[in-house]
Amino acid sequence: MSQYRVSGRGRVDTSRPVTFTFDGKRYTGGRGDTVASALLANGVHLMGRSFKYHRPRGAVAAGSEEPNALIGTRRGAGRFEPNTRATVQEIWEGLETSSQNKYPSLKFDVGAVNDAAYMLFSAGFYYKTFMWPKSFWDKVYEPFIRAAAGLGVSPTEEDPDHYASRYLHCDVLIVGAGPTGLAAARAAAVDGLKVVVVDENPEAGGTLLSEPQAEISGRPAWDWLAAEVAELEALGVTIMTRTTAIGYYHQNMIGLVQKLTDHLPKLPDDTPRERMWRVRAGQVVLAQGALEKPLVFHGNDRPGVMLAGSAQTFLNRYGVLVGKSPVVLTSHDSAWYAAFDLADAGAKVQAIVDTREGVREELQAEARKRNIPVKLSHTGTATSGRLRVSSLRVNPVSGGTVGAGTEIKCDALLMSGGWTPSLHLFSHTKGSLAWDDDRNTFLPEKTPEDCVIAGASRGLWGIEAALKDGAEKGREIVAALGKTGAEVSYSVANDRPGTGVSHKELPTDRSPGKAKAFVDYQNDVTAKDLRLAVREGMRSIEHVKRYTTNGMATDQGKMSNINGLNIAADALGKAPPQVGLTTFRPPYTPTSFGAFAGYHRGAHFEVTRKTQIDPWAEENGAVFEPVGQWRRAWYFPKAGESMDDAVRRECAATRESVGIFDASTLGKIEVVGPDAVEFMNRMYTNPWTKLGIGRCRYGLLLGDDGYIRDDGVIGRMGQDLFHVTTTTGGAARVLNMMEDYLQTEWPDLNVWLTSTTEQWSTVALNGPNAAKLLAPLVEGVELTEETFPHMSCVECTVAGMPARLFRVSFTGEIGFEVNVPAPMGRKLWETLWEAGQQYGITAYGTETMHVLRAEKGYIIVGQDTDGTVTPFDAGMGWAVGKKKPDFVGKRGLARPDLVAEGRKQLVGLLTEDNSKLEEGAQIVFDPNQPVPMKMVGHVTSSYDVGTSGRPIALALVESGQSRMGEIVHIPMPDRTIAAKITSTIFVDPENARLKI
Amino acid sequence: MNAPVSSFTPGTLVETSAASVSAAMPCTRLSLRARGDLAPFEAALGLSLGGHIGSRSSSDALEAMRLGPDEWILHSRSGDVADVVAAMSALYDSHPHSLVDVSGREVTLVIKGERAAELLTLGCPRDIDTIPPGAGRRTAFDGVTVVLWRDGETSFRMDVWNTFAPHVYDLLAIGSRELAAESH
Repeated sequence: MSQYRVSGRGRVDTSRPVTFTFDGKRYTGGRGDTVASALLANGVHLMGRSFKYHRPRGAVAAGSEEPNALIGTRRGAGRFEPNTRATVQEIWEGLETSSQNKYPSLKFDVGAVNDAAYMLFSAGFYYKTFMWPKSFWDKVYEPFIRAAAGLGVSPTEEDPDHYASRYLHCDVLIVGAGPTGLAAARAAAVDGLKVVVVDENPEAGGTLLSEPQAEISGRPAWDWLAAEVAELEALGVTIMTRTTAIGYYHQNMIGLVQKLTDHLPKLPDDTPRERMWRVRAGQVVLAQGALEKPLVFHGNDRPGVMLAGSAQTFLNRYGVLVGKSPVVLTSHDSAWYAAFDLADAGAKVQAIVDTREGVREELQAEARKRNIPVKLSHTGTATSGRLRVSSLRVNPVSGGTVGAGTEIKCDALLMSGGWTPSLHLFSHTKGSLAWDDDRNTFLPEKTPEDCVIAGASRGLWGIEAALKDGAEKGREIVAALGKTGAEVSYSVANDRPGTGVSHKELPTDRSPGKAKAFVDYQNDVTAKDLRLAVREGMRSIEHVKRYTTNGMATDQGKMSNINGLNIAADALGKAPPQVGLTTFRPPYTPTSFGAFAGYHRGAHFEVTRKTQIDPWAEENGAVFEPVGQWRRAWYFPKAGESMDDAVRRECAATRESVGIFDASTLGKIEVVGPDAVEFMNRMYTNPWTKLGIGRCRYGLLLGDDGYIRDDGVIGRMGQDLFHVTTTTGGAARVLNMMEDYLQTEWPDLNVWLTSTTEQWSTVALNGPNAAKLLAPLVEGVELTEETFPHMSCVECTVAGMPARLFRVSFTGEIGFEVNVPAPMGRKLWETLWEAGQQYGITAYGTETMHVLRAEKGYIIVGQDTDGTVTPFDAGMGWAVGKKKPDFVGKRGLARPDLVAEGRKQLVGLLTEDNSKLEEGAQIVFDPNQPVPMKMVGHVTSSYDVGTSGRPIALALVESGQSRMGEIVHIPMPDRTIAAKITSTIFVDPENARLKI
Repeated sequence: MNAPVSSFTPGTLVETSAASVSAAMPCTRLSLRARGDLAPFEAALGLSLGGHIGSRSSSDALEAMRLGPDEWILHSRSGDVADVVAAMSALYDSHPHSLVDVSGREVTLVIKGERAAELLTLGCPRDIDTIPPGAGRRTAFDGVTVVLWRDGETSFRMDVWNTFAPHVYDLLAIGSRELAAESH
């Protein structure tokens, strides 16, 4: 058995040894050990180096609040995690762990030079030191800060684990499976209520695991616990261990992170490492208990200096003596019991040093019984020992005067500055806190959520008080759910009630300005840092926090907040509640990114929508681009072709013969009802009343501000039936906007909207041979200029498939869009492909579509418009129905700034030197004006692979439409390009090519 | 995994001890929007439309779920529904409504098995226990709008638009394996 393991104590099964490594050295612990308990059992206290000063540190706590003992854990390739708390990580055979923040070794670390130079690293150090010279920022300061910032080393390999998430609905969620939580669960386990209890520890019990001496209702604590857990489970209560409630969100939504495999030697198949539970609870009981506070004095951070309650936990729960000759320094009764437990387990307790003048006689008698020297009215002023504490210097305090110090030799120092109720989750609810003068801490007051807080987390002390409060609050919330909770009474023998006082930093006979009295261990913030911050003008605790970084580490100030507040308040000469408490933010404990990402990683990261024709495009070598959630064929390169080559070929083939394009992603909305035409008149700028059945029209949709929001071709399929198309990205947005108007503004209209985007696969054919290709396949309409002119639509049959056929063009060529029921899309495409071979049919992608439309000056909403462009700015005043009484955006269009002179207007640009402009490039009128120049617009679209024989561009230019033929200038990093303002139409301005 | 839709041929897609997911046979799907007196529509369709949102009714030819105050989804149960469509069409002038064929828009995944309801909790924020067998809901699964039909304690159908189906199926497949791996 290890040197510090106490036979017969604790819950660790030492008969089942577990071997692991720490910094390459092998250690043996038992089943049930954490890394910290196993190392302590081997006499190892030194577990890490501190963040700023690289001071040697050991575990100061035994649970998830541990600020110091942060380690890296490794389980083969990719499975490395930094900043794991050694007090939480359970050991398993073969676990590899390593210390952090040290070079070259944990015992000898060159970074510790920071400790000697501590005067340089005072509060606000970053703000002061890195201010000047300014030129040093990029090359010197920022790299230095980045190198020094952060704890541990980020993993470099991809995480091979997977992460999961689920939703959970329950009547009662209880956070914390200590005596309070278990008693609340017992009260709530009635009448079919779904009760869930969560606890971050591997087993339920909380305090009971550290206090086996208690007897609950006549049974030893651990016997009672085992029976109670079994009984609760028999009653249908779900108890989830290794599960941390990380955050409390609106309307009783609580986030839980359950660790599933970190404690297992072998990873089971198909099992996630962690699971995020999103819980919606009817009622919540917060029973998170209290966290012990350190005392603030010089040298309170050496390895071996530990919270007394944690030493008690290491002994009673893990069977480990943290020292053989410990000394106790306390301001609270609880540490006396820790001293007694350690003494009873064979430790020679050197002294109990208490800051208080008077302590319960009963405790003093117990100390005498064990021959433990007691020093009341004493302060601790220093410790010594390089890698492990070896002595404590104590001084008597009398009437505010600190007397001469004496050294007490020790191998561990157990301290207690009292206990802070754990209010983290309560604070997440926006719960209000009230300062309690007696306990010198904040207590929970009111919360807007359906939530109660019970036991030690509302300041109660002792197991019996916790059980009774849990039972009472449990019944309270059951009553709120309209039921009657179970009546259970509890009596506890060998309970350990207690009280204490709270301190700012302990008084000292030495210079407080030189004291390394740590408040925040993880961020290396000392009491003098806090006082300096106040001296330098920080008044609010929020400012003190940010200036000193107190409470900003990953432990979220679990140990430091109240001590920090006491010191800052003292420095400000105010009462603590007037200085306030900083906000606790989720997550309660550090949480992996994996837990937040859940299933959304790799191929499942986000929905990728693919059309029915997408597989054909993939088989035929398409390069894809994302458009919203869709992936679309961008271009179809042949062997050896660059993107430009491919697009140039696709453009030419379409203008010369026929091109085929997958337009299935276009949004489609079926508008049906007697008021369909009225609805269309009100939504779109265009007039619809006179549009004949079987005809289509280009429609422009504005926001009520008068700016272009969407566009598309709309076909009137029947008197009361419109087939609306929208942009690919706008489909959902447009439908929502329409529904919004229908439901809130025009509920009187008898018209209904149905999304048919996914009902139809849409194949576009464009080019001089499009009609020739299509005509033989179409039944029900003749594709001639007379019977089916441009902008016609009809229900017919294409290649034997029921179809909606549109004659429209987004290229300037003869164009058709064939809609067939979605699953038939690929069959239609392949039929057209076969039939088109005689014309050398060419498949084209979105890039060619963009080029061909730009040559005709057709806008793309979102590219040539940016949410500040009106139809008139875009040169599309013709689309606005002047005689219509109203439409969405009509009043917006009349706003003074929308009718003012000098608006940016869409125009074409042709560069003087035939170079291609860059999309987004800024435009100026006079290139010789001083910098900063007045920018008068920007390039919205630019291509040089089209069929017009030269690069073309579209641009928004101030008063552009009245500047035709003028030269503007586009300054680029290397030169300034001159360009002539032209019409937006570069190909076939007469639209002759649209005719069959 | 985002396999193309055409890879869903009717039949079992994944099966574990926890749950199975399969693709249902295609059927005719009609989106009905109507308001006012529902009796003429009920007569034409041969089923009742008046229940709460989420309630279902059926005839030999059709089954319906009410999705909103003026919205229902209808699935054909067997054979042709041309007669029903014609009867509704004849009603239009006196009782305007919208009946849109959306058969091509979506697919149905059938989720069955001892832990089928639990499998749905991977992606559905709604409390599955509040959907009684014989009812259904329009809800979300993994952020995607779906229509969920609860046919029995351990038997569900989920209607998903074509292009979202591979994503939804992917999580159902991961989840059915994850649940099967849990020792219960």
